[in-house]
Amino acid sequence: MIDGLVRILVFQGIGEIVAKFIVPLVPGPVIGLVLLLAYLAWRGSVPEGVELVSAGFMRYLGVLFVPAAVGVVLFWPHLQQQALAIAIALVGSVVATVAVAALAAKLLSRSGSDAP
Amino acid sequence: MRPDLPAIHEIWVYLSGSPLLALILTLAAYQIGVVIYERTQLNPLANPVLIAVTLITLALAALDMPYATYFEGAQFVHFLLGTATVSLAVPIYKGLPSLRGRLLPLSAALLGGGATSIVSAVLLARLLGADETIVGGMYAKSLTAPIAMGVAERVGASPTLTAVFTVTTGILGAALGRFVLDAVRCREWWQRGFAIGVAAHGIGTSRALSVHPEAGAYAGLAMGLHGVIGAIVIPWAISALR
Repeated sequence: MIDGLVRILVFQGIGEIVAKFIVPLVPGPVIGLVLLLAYLAWRGSVPEGVELVSAGFMRYLGVLFVPAAVGVVLFWPHLQQQALAIAIALVGSVVATVAVAALAAKLLSRSGSDAP
Repeated sequence: MRPDLPAIHEIWVYLSGSPLLALILTLAAYQIGVVIYERTQLNPLANPVLIAVTLITLALAALDMPYATYFEGAQFVHFLLGTATVSLAVPIYKGLPSLRGRLLPLSAALLGGGATSIVSAVLLARLLGADETIVGGMYAKSLTAPIAMGVAERVGASPTLTAVFTVTTGILGAALGRFVLDAVRCREWWQRGFAIGVAAHGIGTSRALSVHPEAGAYAGLAMGLHGVIGAIVIPWAISALR
């Protein structure tokens, strides 16, 4: 498992460096992700250690953004004031997004049905 | 008589000065959230992150602990966001074969859905008079949270608001998605799953997984691809529009 973590951390490090000096607009970890993806495609398989670490992170992904989300206390008055606008924007946007994505996938699938 | 025992407030002062208290608080609150989520048969409204944030907020108020003090300890959890983002490469890599033969409809769903999520949220929020801090939190809200927060930092938006809007979007998408998909008469599991993954990232994906394995697989792929492409396109688009 440590070998997997080391590989992932190395890709994260390379990603951070590339982000810092070459493409400052893209978050470093995302560049690390793309590089790891390229490495996996080149290798043709996922190393056991990387698989283990990744499965652990995916399972408990939610807990990682709790500390930042708790910062919502600092925005509380702000959010209360504009609660209606926020609620309508979030609900409207998610409904529109699901509808557009589903329609695009449906209309561009050949013959609209996948029956063999 | 036990004169050597420290007074209770001394223990408290010691504990609250170390990262341990914030770490225990974070993990315990999340664990409670997970138990409640499982007890409610994975109801998206009983989202573990939402429950954890509520519990911690209440605890901080009760303990009179400022957010900055809490975050100083909890940053050790926060730091792993980047590492978790990198390891998203594994599920994306495994999902890539599912694109075969469906590249065109899936790319269209990804790009169309991605553009719709950001444009509709920003326009609606502005139209209803939300200020630019709030609008900034809307930019990346359909991406998976760890990537969304990274994007927020890059475009000068608040990572906290982005995290909150992202989780809310995920919960809304998981709860409402089914009705929208039925309304547009989308019946194939792979299309339904992919659309939910584009709009509602990880929370939508766990919902899709609990409904149908094929829907879950495509939702996970959509979440990963939207995360990567969104992280590359959104900062450029926003800096070009400014």
